[in-house]
Amino acid sequence: MKIIFKIIRIFAIVFAALFAVFYFDLDGKLLYYVYEPLMCKHYDNIEGRRNIVEIPYDMKEDIYD
Amino acid sequence: MIEFEDLLLEAYNDLVRQAKDEGKYALGYTCYFMPEVLLNLPGCFSVRLRAPRSASPDMATYYMSGRTCMYGRALMERALEGGFNFLDAQLATETCTVTCRFQEHMQMMPGLINNPNFFCEFTDVPFKKNDNSILHYKDQLQAHVLDVLHEKLGVDTSDEAIRKAIEEQNEINRVIREIGEFRKLDNPTITGFEFALCQLVAIACPHYLILPKLKETLEDLKTRKPDPKPGYRIKVVVAGSENDDPYFIQLIEECGARVVADRYCYGSIPGREEIVIKEGETALEAVARHYLTTSQCTRFMEQHIMRQRKETLAGIVKEYKADGIIIEQMKFCEYWSYERMIDTFVLRRDYGIPVCSIEKEYTNGATGQLRTRFQAFIESVELKKLQSEQAERGVG
Amino acid sequence: MAEERMTKMSLSEKLGYRKGDLKNFVKYIADDPKQACKDFIYGKEHERRNLGDLYIQPTGLYRHREWRGLKDTLYYFTCVWCYTYGTMVGDILTSEKPLSFFKGLWRYRWVGQTYIPVLHWYDRGMEGMRGPALRASAWHYRGMTYSTIEQFMRMFARDLRFNDGKETELWKKTVLHNETVSGSVFYPFRDGGLVDIPLEMIPYFVTCHVNSNTVLHYIDAIQSLGLPSDPCPMCQAEAGVGIMDDYPDSAPCFVTTNEACDASVATSIIQDWFLNRPLYAMPQPMQYDDPLVQKRCQAEIEGCWKFVEEQTGVPFSWESFKKYAELQNEQLYFEREKWDVAARTNSYPINGVAQALYRIYYSQYGWNKTWQVLDGRVRKIMEECVTKQIDTFPKTRHRVIAWSCAPLYYSNWCTWAYNCWGLNTIINMDSLMFDKEIRTDTYEHALEDLSWYNELAPMRAMAVGGHKHIFQLWDYMEQFNCDMVVMYDQLQCKGMQGIKGMFEDEFRERGIHAIWFPHALPDKRTVSRAEIRDCISNYMIDVMHEEPLDPSLLDFDDSLTW
Repeated sequence: MKIIFKIIRIFAIVFAALFAVFYFDLDGKLLYYVYEPLMCKHYDNIEGRRNIVEIPYDMKEDIYD
Repeated sequence: MIEFEDLLLEAYNDLVRQAKDEGKYALGYTCYFMPEVLLNLPGCFSVRLRAPRSASPDMATYYMSGRTCMYGRALMERALEGGFNFLDAQLATETCTVTCRFQEHMQMMPGLINNPNFFCEFTDVPFKKNDNSILHYKDQLQAHVLDVLHEKLGVDTSDEAIRKAIEEQNEINRVIREIGEFRKLDNPTITGFEFALCQLVAIACPHYLILPKLKETLEDLKTRKPDPKPGYRIKVVVAGSENDDPYFIQLIEECGARVVADRYCYGSIPGREEIVIKEGETALEAVARHYLTTSQCTRFMEQHIMRQRKETLAGIVKEYKADGIIIEQMKFCEYWSYERMIDTFVLRRDYGIPVCSIEKEYTNGATGQLRTRFQAFIESVELKKLQSEQAERGVG
Repeated sequence: MAEERMTKMSLSEKLGYRKGDLKNFVKYIADDPKQACKDFIYGKEHERRNLGDLYIQPTGLYRHREWRGLKDTLYYFTCVWCYTYGTMVGDILTSEKPLSFFKGLWRYRWVGQTYIPVLHWYDRGMEGMRGPALRASAWHYRGMTYSTIEQFMRMFARDLRFNDGKETELWKKTVLHNETVSGSVFYPFRDGGLVDIPLEMIPYFVTCHVNSNTVLHYIDAIQSLGLPSDPCPMCQAEAGVGIMDDYPDSAPCFVTTNEACDASVATSIIQDWFLNRPLYAMPQPMQYDDPLVQKRCQAEIEGCWKFVEEQTGVPFSWESFKKYAELQNEQLYFEREKWDVAARTNSYPINGVAQALYRIYYSQYGWNKTWQVLDGRVRKIMEECVTKQIDTFPKTRHRVIAWSCAPLYYSNWCTWAYNCWGLNTIINMDSLMFDKEIRTDTYEHALEDLSWYNELAPMRAMAVGGHKHIFQLWDYMEQFNCDMVVMYDQLQCKGMQGIKGMFEDEFRERGIHAIWFPHALPDKRTVSRAEIRDCISNYMIDVMHEEPLDPSLLDFDDSLTW
């Protein structure tokens, strides 16, 4: 019985915590103010991308018609 | 040449009037994919639509907004002004969006063309050059050009009639080609402007009336002596989207470049090749194959064709001994906005050809800006030429 | 301006706390505890919701999410919010290579910047909704989320970048195709193990809806190479993803098409350049309802099948095609049922944005099991609504048909328009595409119908082949009992711009109320969301002389929102 109550209590706490995150849009705020700016900085600095103007533009055979 | 200039001042020019007076049907079209040869069957003649001396297309802008290519809008404005009332039919193609929309207006707006018997018929043009596409194109030309002309105007569309039209088309093509050959000379005896006049009158006037004049011009050119000192600094190829304005070519030449080849819509490359009827082919099959395979339009999507276009362009530069290339794009032309961008990279990088890449309007509005661009380009090419000559001679 | 405003905001403002909030809340309860209790259980009435007050301007974040009444809030929290976050994790864990997600997240901007804030996309689309409408629309969103995860996980599992350049078996049995080539073309190979991936659908199309900031990098990238800014921005962005080298390298070959417009054709040239591998062009005829073009179009599809066989080694299977085509037909029949309910009753439980996005997404992507399961759930909800004659959008003042191509960065404009003005978007142009079943009695019939199906692809079916198609608007208005049109004025769509005046003339002659609003498809910088709202509000005030249902939604700044 105790275990059941414990589970219910844990469940209730998790539920309440998640609900608070949901209701106050804390997920959105974290992603907007923290996550996205950090990731954007990272993406802006990715190295080693292929430069399209260096990709060959060879002639191709007409093999499918 | 002055006569040609006069003829190009309006779509309904003296020769078109004369042909109309002689009872012939005027058939309008806008695109190379509508084979000129089929519109010159007995009893009719072709007019590739232009809107020379266009100002601001205000009425057309109401219908087509200010965010579409000005060529389409200028044609629409001219139609609204009554400038195309001489047309008996428009043989339309849905080959680029804005000209298509303009031609749809011709179809749906009652009274836009003030001719009670006027009609507009659309042909579907494939995006590939394979056998399936040629069949597709042939079926379309049969149904939407030949059958319609026969039913509505009583035009003789037999194989024999088409063969005769091909012969006549080949004749005018040969003359233009020969005139164009003078551009290949080390010191060309014809200016790009003059050639543009010849090419444009050939598509804007009835063939049977313009051909004698073109032949006369050809004869004159044969005896023309080149200037002892060339009146230009470099030779260029002009490639790109629609251009039916000879004064644009003149503008380039005034800046010091001689235009030796014209690979743009309304230009002669492609367009003046001989139409050959192969053994076992009907005349229509030959026409369909010819127009589809010779076209260098940017709407072709097969991989090898997309890539080969750049090679072809580089080949033209070499063939005409040009020093560089001007890629022009009509503002709002989607096909050429991409093609111009890629050409600018690939021709420079893979073929070592100097490229001047510009965006222009249908009317020659931004002359000052363009002049500056051309002058700068010419100087840079000259400088490069000078540097390579010096390098060859081992100077510096 | 908005950026400046952001920098000046204090932390509490950023988090959405306003001085006196708590005091006001206590006062609200104390003033009328009965009403407060009622609001708690049932939610506030439409006119008292003040949804605009929930925003933290200009971020579009919520000070707090909306209280929709006890039942609907709990539903939204558990069955939408928790469920979606949960399934996002679950779907990734059960995919072919779960760990590749982290590599993809780290490497590709369009994943990291877009798909993590996906719940806000739900919030925006379902603001103010209650009851069956909330439930049915949410199922549509879930379907799209699942399918999106499936697609990007497939891309990552095959990506040569994440496999040390090794051409794995998965990679070899995959074909990339333009997002406007329908997935149905590849049905004959599905049971043989072939996976087809619409190249731009996830990196470009879906991102615009979820996080409109992502795509701006790609548009800028292509313009930095010299492309003018006037071609269709959708095509620009699609090309821009390639320029930024942000497409996973996940297949040995590519199938492209000319749909929907000139710029799509031109984009193929760029795509060919950066993919630099065998490409098959499968164009559709422009004058597509000409009987003469059908055989030629079919031959191109057969050419494509041959190409796929040669490139991937997966054989063509008629049985496979038949199976999936029949399943697709079932889905279409249900779509028609939905249209019927939308047209004839006030009990259609799907809002404008869910209807539009889901329809275009599933019909373009092709059949999959998820759609079938979700349609079953939506059917149940819809049947309940019809049987009980539930008025799903009770504040409807005008039944709207939305025409032309929609703003991707503001696809939820119709949710706002309903909440603010009672404009209920019943149907839109893109939903009406692909309205073609595929006969499976013979190969010839199937090929004929498949070819037609592809000719009726989004935008294209109405926009090309003659003005008669785009003017089908009048028939659809009647069919769906609509009394108002919202005309999307996509500034860079040459096809629509080229016929604008004729529409104006027709609206005038027919006496139809039409609200035009400009937009630039994925690029919110050209026309902001606030400008779009102003166009609608101005018309409703100045021409219709109506009062807003929720005045708090009239004027707010969401310029920096996702």
